[in-house]
Amino acid sequence: MTKVLLIEDDAWLAELQMGVLAGEGYKVSHVKNALDAMARIEAGQLPDVMVLDVLLTGSTAFALLHELRSYPDTEAIPIILCTTIAEHFSSSALKEYGVRRIVDKTTMHPNDVVAAIKAVTA
Amino acid sequence: MHEPAREWYTRDMSGGDTYDALSPVVAAAHELKAPLALVRQMALRLADKDVSETERDRILHQMTLTTERALRVTSNVTKAARLEDAFFELEPVNPGQLCRDVMSELAPLFAAHGRSMSVKDRRHPLLLVANRDLLRRILLSFSDNALHYSEPGSAVHLQIQALKESGMVRIGVRDYGPALSSDMWRQLQKKLSVAPQAIHARPESSGLGLYIASQFAQTMNGRVGVVRHRDGATFYVELHASQQLSFL
Repeated sequence: MTKVLLIEDDAWLAELQMGVLAGEGYKVSHVKNALDAMARIEAGQLPDVMVLDVLLTGSTAFALLHELRSYPDTEAIPIILCTTIAEHFSSSALKEYGVRRIVDKTTMHPNDVVAAIKAVTA
Repeated sequence: MHEPAREWYTRDMSGGDTYDALSPVVAAAHELKAPLALVRQMALRLADKDVSETERDRILHQMTLTTERALRVTSNVTKAARLEDAFFELEPVNPGQLCRDVMSELAPLFAAHGRSMSVKDRRHPLLLVANRDLLRRILLSFSDNALHYSEPGSAVHLQIQALKESGMVRIGVRDYGPALSSDMWRQLQKKLSVAPQAIHARPESSGLGLYIASQFAQTMNGRVGVVRHRDGATFYVELHASQQLSFL
């Protein structure tokens, strides 16, 4: 079963996204900030894919991306950015950070995240 | 190593040229994106056929609370835009009663997020001189902010304190969330009332709420500020204590 780590600081949006992903058969866990994500990884709970909000409480997504790229066991985890500021990013510019897809929260359909996960884990 | 993401973030969101001083309109647009996107996702979920009645009721309640919160932002922006043209009556206000009114108004929102509010004051706190509507807006804005940054299950405290030497009364909104970094703290102290700042107390906000609160406080001859703690922050407004007791 594919393990998805959702990093989203809006509890209600996270609840909706977890419902969709669990309904598709993914094993989903949720944290609300970058520090909690690293703590979970440190505890040995490595996900197969991460769905990452950008404007998080505390450290931003980019601090987390730098952390992930710094360690051999985390550098290859595919990242899907799910953000309200998607227009500021390009997939090609963020590829070196492990970002494989960018989903625009302002226009996305709930199944878009599922499609993105399928694409990066195929 | 070239760092496009960090470069963008530094330039656009951390006090560089592009968003260094956001216009309130741009800042409001930024602030409203998240609640609008959330409401849209909720609406899409409601369109699904497999939504139970319980889930439907819960989502509808969340949609109501989310839109109310967003509407408070738009209402404050329009109010702030008219500050110079409007006349705001200042009067003695009981801060304890106002805090309890704010607490009652936000109780459904806090309950839906699993948080609580409390008011810490004296039985007879000093009255302060304020425009009741503007002060209420400041406290609602600080409380909205505290809600977002506090941990589930934690409380947000509204605290009233008489500053006897300066003749001011301080109302603080204490949250138990992430501490402010030293860099953010310095920037906040320096730029508090200049313009909506891309970086301020916490990174994902445009700073619009704090900027508008500062404008409202200045209209009442007061000021806003922040105290950082190891486990959160207190955003406060200071206003002159009422002198009416001195006339007795």
